[in-house]
Amino acid sequence: MNERRTILVRYDEIGLKGKNRDQFINRLVKNIQMQMKDLEGLQFKVPHGRIFIHCPEELSVECTSRLQKIPGVASASVGVTREPKFDALAAVGVEWIEPLLQPGKTLKFCVRTNRADKTYPHKSPDIDREVGSRILRQLHSQGLEVSIKDADYILEIEIGQDETVVFNNRASGLRGLPVGSSGDILGLISGGIDSPVALYRMMKRGCRAHGIFFDNRPFMGRGGYDKVVKLSKLLNGYQKKSKLYVVPFEDIQVAIRDHCRPAHRVVLYRRMMYRIAQSVARQKGYLALATGESVGQVASQTLENLNAVSQVVNLSVFRPLIGMNKQEIINEAKELGTYDISIEPHPDCCSVFMPPRPATRAKIADLEVDETKYPWEALMRDAMTKMETVNVDTLTV
Amino acid sequence: MIYLDNAATSPVDPEVIEVVQESMRKDFANSGTVYALGLDAKQRIEDAENRIRESLSIPPDYKIIFTSGGSESNNLFIKGYGFPDRKMAFLGLEHPSVVQTLESFREFGNEPVSLLALQEDGRLDLSAVPRLKKEKVRLLCLSHVNNELGSVNDPVQILPALAEQSPQTRLFLDGVQAVGKLKLSPEMWQGLAGYSVSGHKINGPKGIGLLVVEGKLDLKPQIHGGQQQHRLRSGTLPVPLIVGLALAIQRAVEKTDETIKNNRKLFHHLVKGLQSLAGKIPGLDLKFNSSLSEDLTHQSPSIVNFRFAPVEGEVMLHHLEEKGIYVGLGSACSAHSKEPSKILTGIGLTPEEARCSLRISFGPQNTLADVEAFIEAFGVAYRQLYSTFNRKTAHK
Repeated sequence: MNERRTILVRYDEIGLKGKNRDQFINRLVKNIQMQMKDLEGLQFKVPHGRIFIHCPEELSVECTSRLQKIPGVASASVGVTREPKFDALAAVGVEWIEPLLQPGKTLKFCVRTNRADKTYPHKSPDIDREVGSRILRQLHSQGLEVSIKDADYILEIEIGQDETVVFNNRASGLRGLPVGSSGDILGLISGGIDSPVALYRMMKRGCRAHGIFFDNRPFMGRGGYDKVVKLSKLLNGYQKKSKLYVVPFEDIQVAIRDHCRPAHRVVLYRRMMYRIAQSVARQKGYLALATGESVGQVASQTLENLNAVSQVVNLSVFRPLIGMNKQEIINEAKELGTYDISIEPHPDCCSVFMPPRPATRAKIADLEVDETKYPWEALMRDAMTKMETVNVDTLTV
Repeated sequence: MIYLDNAATSPVDPEVIEVVQESMRKDFANSGTVYALGLDAKQRIEDAENRIRESLSIPPDYKIIFTSGGSESNNLFIKGYGFPDRKMAFLGLEHPSVVQTLESFREFGNEPVSLLALQEDGRLDLSAVPRLKKEKVRLLCLSHVNNELGSVNDPVQILPALAEQSPQTRLFLDGVQAVGKLKLSPEMWQGLAGYSVSGHKINGPKGIGLLVVEGKLDLKPQIHGGQQQHRLRSGTLPVPLIVGLALAIQRAVEKTDETIKNNRKLFHHLVKGLQSLAGKIPGLDLKFNSSLSEDLTHQSPSIVNFRFAPVEGEVMLHHLEEKGIYVGLGSACSAHSKEPSKILTGIGLTPEEARCSLRISFGPQNTLADVEAFIEAFGVAYRQLYSTFNRKTAHK
């Protein structure tokens, strides 16, 4: 049977957004349409509180799996649209449940209705009972029983003003807010495990997360860049339209290595990364920076050193992983699919730039003295002139 | 582009590309089928095998087994012959596909005997032979030409020593870096148990190599299936790759004298050039990891390995890469590991010295101009990198 399906898309936080609600919903619908633009035969409807997608039956699995990767979607259910009449609704139940019944075995079921259209002349429990009893009447002899508390099978009915949908499944989504609803940010991305997770978390809060990568190809080769490109491509799948800024960093690293105190190197590198990231963000109109830092994870992420790097910028710096344990970050990276790319064997810093003993509590005054020893403004200008801007949508990896 | 990493792999000879392409179009039939089309494919393989046998002077009592390449050939021979408790020995400087295969026997309680203490310039010192008898070693596995150093284990010297002093020890050679780079003496087949060859190191296709194995040895197969290739290595034979391999071997062997002559010239030029650079650049402490011996039974002129602490080899590699010059760090298979090369530390280098090393390996396309361009780019990059790597100046 080549029937059309109705996918019921739910969102949660957007429902709380008061007067801006329509903007958020429009954004979510646009994002969904963008992610599905290559699928033919889809129709979208946006009644109060829900999004309906009508699609050919054979696309329903693909649509659902894409919906599960779109920030802002709370869950999705594939079902069919019917007249809000008990017999028609019960017929769907009979059609779906009958093949599941096995001789000599019982199946416990229940009906649950959500009446979004309060003008509908029956209340939800009455609909449950009316539809349930009709199904039971036809299938009781084959082993079907009712159990409200302990059902093996739940038939759900959503009665809306325009449309009534019957379904038996719920696929959970990422929740959060639709990308773009909060604005654009710039995330510092390396080939490591943490930064992609940080950017992903910002996307789920409605940000379009662009990436900035500090490349040191003359010392490290192209391996790190290739990894970041792969990660950016994967992350872009959740948001689209993101950019990757690639900044040549070797001259800055060499200057710091050659002129500053070894123990301060890492913090000095990061101060330069922050400065450059802020400058790019300001140029592009991005509203904040994001990093994958987490307190105490490595020497550069002690409270003192985090403070020392934050001092060089006045744009907000978001650190969504700040309170997470390493294993929690790894688990999330695995779920996200970035972990396997992040652990590909390309080191993210050449050993020659690493100090034997990095300072864990660098003093800002000392760092400022170090920064008088090399022409950081000129080097920063030069790096930004040589910066490459990559449109991640059109990247081929 | 100047490509000086021919021991990692080599550009495919256009003539080889042509015969592979032609064969891909024509010889699609399964050589195991009994209709004429399949018999034609089988004939193509037999012709190729005969050409290989002739090129490498392989006697008729040796089997030729086509494999996916050098690593598979080494695995097939060592696992096939050694399983489960034949005592085996190695120098410890072989390619990982030899070393790790031997080490895999530890799970059967069969610890391979390392002769590393008896190496000299990356070669087996023949004084090791009595130890083989004492330890009842049944198989000695060596590189014919070491993949990182170019050092040579000459079968023509080793086989008589084994026959005389440890007659129960058989010799297996990984010949992946030797074919086309050294003249293979037909004498080596008098007593050699097995020999590995790879297509892509000699301007042939990737994914094809061979194992030459003494006919009477009873190897345990590693890939089971349709019982092709004397039941030793099942799987439908890739006719186009085999045809390409045969041509690559034939060309490599025909040109061996010329290649040796050219490589010797390049080797000398490189060594001289680097030595004179060391005189000109203050702080350049250049040392050769490869032997500078001109004796082809000691050192192949196709590979030069050298070090230049404190500058790291990988950083130098990337600086050269920026100039379009490609060089090697060592075995490409282990180049991703952060550990320094086991071959270089095996011949006595410190981990730091090993990390500050590069390998240059020549191919038939290389010219003196390539070597000169390399030396110049190396000098420029070294000057640029020295202060960054020199702790004394950088930590002031």
